[in-house]
Amino acid sequence: MTQRAMIIDDSRAMRSILRRILGGLDFETSEAGHGQEALDLLEVATAEGRLPDLCLIDWNMPVMDGYTFITEVRKRPEWRNVTLMMVTTESEQGQIVKALAAGAHEYVIKPFTPDAIVEKLELLGLTGTGISA
Amino acid sequence: MSTAPEMTDVHAIVEQVWSSFLGDEEPLLPAYDAEVAFPADDAWSAAVSIHGGWTGTVTIELSKTLAFSLTRLMMAMEDSEPLDDAEVADAVGELVNMIGGNIKSLMPGPSALTLPVVAAGRAAHSSDLREVSRFDACWQGEPVRVSVHSPS
Repeated sequence: MTQRAMIIDDSRAMRSILRRILGGLDFETSEAGHGQEALDLLEVATAEGRLPDLCLIDWNMPVMDGYTFITEVRKRPEWRNVTLMMVTTESEQGQIVKALAAGAHEYVIKPFTPDAIVEKLELLGLTGTGISA
Repeated sequence: MSTAPEMTDVHAIVEQVWSSFLGDEEPLLPAYDAEVAFPADDAWSAAVSIHGGWTGTVTIELSKTLAFSLTRLMMAMEDSEPLDDAEVADAVGELVNMIGGNIKSLMPGPSALTLPVVAAGRAAHSSDLREVSRFDACWQGEPVRVSVHSPS
């Protein structure tokens, strides 16, 4: 079964890069430009029974940042199975710990290589098709 | 820890960003001649500021040709596809965001990074800032400059 991923980043260029990486893994992708838009999309996906398996989340975004998004997602029991991966330039140890404590499962620092994303997804058991290699 | 990022660190960060997102088939060549010419009317620039344990501004300046090339590469667009200023601003802004974020990690923290500010044209800095580091380079024959400014 095809897995779904939501890319949450205010940069269209970064969303395009991540979309190509995930598309190569056969993920079905959706996109949001900030945390609030992503929450709105999650509400719609919940109603439609099409929650993403994975969210890739930037930290610094207008309207709602990635950290706030994670804390909001973790307040909702029905979203507990959504895997949250930060993909951000924020690389201070304190911020990494803060994001993981808030509920992020993984943390990738930009710049990254496609292989780094694939490696993290494999650690999380996410392969796009839902079939482990 | 130093109160200004070393030029070699800035160089390493810019190279890492470049090779990660623009490929390493065409290397980013350091331009040791500091007088790399930027056409005044044909440049793009973007900046992010860092506030907290260390305060400063990280700026990227590049030629319009280079700004358009890297935007097409980052967005996987064909040369024939039309490109608008918003797309160029987005790509150039994301580059300075990644470079600035990694420079922030080298400096005393904790600190916060602003969202990028992008302009069609050269960057201008207020008189209370002084340049503390600069990396000049060339890519595809076009100039790119990354500079770091902090309060004097």
